[in-house]
Amino acid sequence: MFPDSHSSLCLFSFLLQLSNIPYVTHRLPVLSVCSHPLFFLFSLTLHWDPDPSTLQLHSDSELMGRGAVRLGMSKLTQVDFLPKEMVSYSKETQTPTDALSQSDQKAGRQALFLSFFLLNSGLFTAVYTPKELTEEEKLQVLHSEEFLTFFERGSRIVERVLAEQVDVCFDYSGRDLEDKEGDLQAGAKLVLNRRFEDERWTKNRVVTCLDWSPQYPELLVASYNNNEDAPHEPDGVALVWNLKYKKPTPEYIFHCQSEVMSAGFAKFHPNLVVGGTYSGQIVLWDNRSNKRTPVQRTPLSAAAHTHPVYCVNVVGSQNAHNLISISTDGKMCSWSLDMLSQPQDSLELVFKQSKAVAVTSMAFPLGDVNNFVVGSEDGSVYTACRHGSKAGITEVFEGHHGPVTGLSCHSAVGPVDFSHLFISSSFDWTVKLWSTRSTRPLYSFEDSCDYVYDAMWSPTHPALFACVDLSGRLDVWNLNNDTEVPTASVGVDGGAALNRVRWSHTGREIAIGDSEGHVHIYDVGEVR
Amino acid sequence: MADVEETLKRIQSQKGVQGVIIVNSEGIPIKTTLDNTSTVQYAGLIQQLVLMARSTVRELDPQNDLTFLRVRSKKNEIMIYLT
Repeated sequence: MFPDSHSSLCLFSFLLQLSNIPYVTHRLPVLSVCSHPLFFLFSLTLHWDPDPSTLQLHSDSELMGRGAVRLGMSKLTQVDFLPKEMVSYSKETQTPTDALSQSDQKAGRQALFLSFFLLNSGLFTAVYTPKELTEEEKLQVLHSEEFLTFFERGSRIVERVLAEQVDVCFDYSGRDLEDKEGDLQAGAKLVLNRRFEDERWTKNRVVTCLDWSPQYPELLVASYNNNEDAPHEPDGVALVWNLKYKKPTPEYIFHCQSEVMSAGFAKFHPNLVVGGTYSGQIVLWDNRSNKRTPVQRTPLSAAAHTHPVYCVNVVGSQNAHNLISISTDGKMCSWSLDMLSQPQDSLELVFKQSKAVAVTSMAFPLGDVNNFVVGSEDGSVYTACRHGSKAGITEVFEGHHGPVTGLSCHSAVGPVDFSHLFISSSFDWTVKLWSTRSTRPLYSFEDSCDYVYDAMWSPTHPALFACVDLSGRLDVWNLNNDTEVPTASVGVDGGAALNRVRWSHTGREIAIGDSEGHVHIYDVGEVR
Repeated sequence: MADVEETLKRIQSQKGVQGVIIVNSEGIPIKTTLDNTSTVQYAGLIQQLVLMARSTVRELDPQNDLTFLRVRSKKNEIMIYLT
């Protein structure tokens, strides 16, 4: 019964697990996944037959002719392995799905380069040389049913996991942050969210003003000056952009005949957008009308403004509010939004009875409708008041060496009242911090290397303010952290000069307007 | 097939995703968005890890099986979905 001896290895399958069934039959080697995947297998087939007759010894068998043998094998199965054949080790689990095992076996028949060395100590080393599949094989797998099922489920789950942004390893003690790079540790992160631009309406124009809507935190109005390359297009454009949707075009397009130098949402009238133009006209657009041109305009007369209007603002309360506008010849007019044909009140801002103040920027402290601060082209900041016997310029704050470009009064509400503080930015590369109680600057922030075009306090965080400069840099300063350098700084792509900066009312986004007509929205990260 | 490509592209374009590798049960990469060297390296290393993890799970409970493995490190995270 034994075949001719040849140098083949006789592998007898050995049952590793005793099962409960009475008949123990020969089975293919079942390799369970455990740490010793390959054994040198000795197998013995035992065929138990309850019939006692077969338990007799076959002394007259062809076996060996040794005569009476106590035990004999009634059935011998022999599995031959050629000496140099590669052992294909299928790494599947014990209960593979039918489909999978099929494909695995198919693939297993290709010669896999897995060779095992069984050392005396019982350890093994696996030498794994990666095997490539041909393109057709890959395509075959990719088209197979199992793959599609697997991929569909898998991709769904992976996408769900990817969408979860929770960082379970966050350490509130801050020890984690010590290892990270400098800018993360600083706290405020600036990430570009979006960029708004329009081929027809913003190309070749400069963003002159930005304002966020008080009603809808996702709306932003941006005003633009003229496009020199397109003389037939309107000179002044104001666009309302929407941050909430992915649509790249503006929500509303408004234009007028003269360049718009300042714009804003009218505070108690959600449908109105106010604009101050280069010609001195104040225009009013209404998004309820279907017109893109202004619904109301102030007259071009000496009673109103005749110089460019750089500052417009609606101040007051719901029942008693006014539109305040100041032009560069120092004239301040207050208007009622219902009737723009003539100003309710006007005032000449002159310093020491002779020098008219060329106003470039204006700011009202929080909650105050009477007193305000203005910055002028000669580098001084003035406080003024609207009503009363001393209406007009009250005090002068000297400190800047160049025209004042931006002013911002502290507006974050909190337990301590900082409303006497304001910051001013100027062409002299600095941003200065002032208090209305003192005419000398409290502090000067001198980190920039170029004209600083605008600065604004954060409406929610009492120690943060942002400033932008000519070199395309946005700096966010955190006065709790450091007063020498900005806490976060980012260079805007394109290197265009940045003209305006505006925090959103939530304090979580910053809008920047540049000299090429782009409006960039940055998200401000957690500030610790 | 087009769906597979589209889904892969969508996953790959999500923020923070460095690459996607699809591997068959032997550890041979079928589809990948990374370069060849990285793919082969990842496939080999992950294969060993998956084997160990799977055997752990099955030894603790033979009826159980490994379905999802997330390896989170200081710098990044590897997510492995298995059938």
